[in-house]
Amino acid sequence: MLEVVGRWTVQHLHQLPALPEMPDGMSVILDGAKLQALDPSGAYKLLTGLREQAGLDAGQITLRNFSPAAQQVFLLVVNNLPRMQVLPETAGLGFLAKTGHASQTAFNHVRGFTGFVGQLAIEAWRLTRRPGAFRLKEFVAQLEAIFVYAIPISAAMIFLLGVVFAYLLGVQAEKFGANIFVVDGVSAAVLRELSPVIIAILIAGRTGAAITAQLGTMKVNEEIDALSVLGLSPVAVLVIPRILALVVALPLLVFIGDVAGILGGMLVAKTQLGLEFSQFWERLDSIMKMKTVLVGMGKAPVFAIFIGLIACRMGMTVARDARSVGLHTTSTVVQSIVAVIVLNAIFAVAFTELGI
Amino acid sequence: MIAPVIEVENIVTRLGGNTIHDGVSLQVQAGDVVALIGGSGTGKSVLLKEIIGLIRPDAGHVRLFGEDVWAADDEQLMGLRRRFGVLFQDGALFSSLTVEQNVAAPLREHTGLSLNECLELARLKIAMAGLPMTACAKMPSELSGGMRKRAALARALALDPELLFLDEPTSGLDPISARAFDHLIRLLSDNLGLTVFLVTHDLDTLLSMVDQIIVLAHGKVLGQGTVKTIQNIQDPWLEEYFSARVQVTDTNRGQYEEQA
Repeated sequence: MLEVVGRWTVQHLHQLPALPEMPDGMSVILDGAKLQALDPSGAYKLLTGLREQAGLDAGQITLRNFSPAAQQVFLLVVNNLPRMQVLPETAGLGFLAKTGHASQTAFNHVRGFTGFVGQLAIEAWRLTRRPGAFRLKEFVAQLEAIFVYAIPISAAMIFLLGVVFAYLLGVQAEKFGANIFVVDGVSAAVLRELSPVIIAILIAGRTGAAITAQLGTMKVNEEIDALSVLGLSPVAVLVIPRILALVVALPLLVFIGDVAGILGGMLVAKTQLGLEFSQFWERLDSIMKMKTVLVGMGKAPVFAIFIGLIACRMGMTVARDARSVGLHTTSTVVQSIVAVIVLNAIFAVAFTELGI
Repeated sequence: MIAPVIEVENIVTRLGGNTIHDGVSLQVQAGDVVALIGGSGTGKSVLLKEIIGLIRPDAGHVRLFGEDVWAADDEQLMGLRRRFGVLFQDGALFSSLTVEQNVAAPLREHTGLSLNECLELARLKIAMAGLPMTACAKMPSELSGGMRKRAALARALALDPELLFLDEPTSGLDPISARAFDHLIRLLSDNLGLTVFLVTHDLDTLLSMVDQIIVLAHGKVLGQGTVKTIQNIQDPWLEEYFSARVQVTDTNRGQYEEQA
């Protein structure tokens, strides 16, 4: 016979005493006269304790002096115990299976992306036949969000990069008395590489994440299904205006970045190297070719298309829960930044080979 | 006399210029299953959130187990929250955790038990909520609506609360699952001595499992009592509510045709 004493509740579970040593296979009488409280967790602990210590089944336990409430709790747990026996199998996957799954996922991703591009092409073709169906309002709203509100941050970032670049270049150029060449260096670096790449990365983080999170939440809310049911194509209504807005906004932002970067360079050239604004300007006028500006701005729409495609596709494929929105948003930012850098490398090689 | 478990006193709530509650008072005794009903926009869910300490009322007092929710400091509120469980309307399961991790989460936060003990107790609650053990390792998004409610109930029961709040427990369930869920809640409340406070629209829930009904209308409590008492109250909304059962006919065609 065992006396159950005190509070057998979940709050006191970790302070409960260990059960005494008992020989196997005996039946036991539990006396609950001094039991102050019993909840399902306590009853469970008691039952599993008896099972482990003495191999006792619920049938070999007799209750005595238990209050009716405690008895009911005890019985409820006893009745539920058999249902807990079937534990789910947690067979881990082997290395080969994991590799298989991963490659399948990657393959499905590529296939889905290709399908998405195809769908987009079809919708875009339809739109050229019926230009009236273009969502001008959505396009303008997106342009405002992607372009107008990104102007301050883009200008500030490239301005600072121009400052840093001119400063570092100036330190070297001063040694050779070649102060004026700072203009060549800053303009080439900012116009050709810094401004397009940094702004594309900025927009990938800022706008790409926003697009995925918004489309993803719309998907969770079944808004995208609602659009389809209304006979509207989600691609035409949501995706095309966003991608177009990106394609228009990114080159403009790059141009603003160009101006800001040059201004930053001019400022440093004057304060550090004593190069007057007019000297800087004259040098810029004589060495800078239109081609340099166009190369930088020309890369931007390509970056924009990739950022837009990735962000929209990731948004549209969100599963119906919050975790998935987070995962897809992260994935958008990573994928689009990688895409921008890879594309930029391809451009660099191609332009060099072509002698542009 | 034992003090009531829930005591709401002269609650006034104004949201966006509208007075939603204009002096709501009610009491719930230990061990009762009490339903709060009322038309759309009468502030049932808002009242529920005020009772569990999520929305602050503009005036009035809410006491749970004799303690004023809106005068309690953080520690007291924590202590109170350990004593009640809440089942949200759509389950509100954490989508990044599996079902058993969801149920174990309150145990992890509020008890000094090891992870394995928490998971074991979580499985007990999952079994008590009537879910198969295969559901343990699933993610909430893989569950059907009825299973999600049961998983959420298991989480609400994780800390063996004395008081359970349910926000529309049967909404979105088919009638069979809904009745099974009613039955489960009644079974648990009878066996565990739970006090249950639920907001519902479901007439069958009221008729099958509830001890008392509280009716909210025009910013006040219109009445509180058993189904019989409430049915005898003269009120247009209540009369319509209780007669809102569809008569089965051979065909529904033409029922709503305008009279020429």
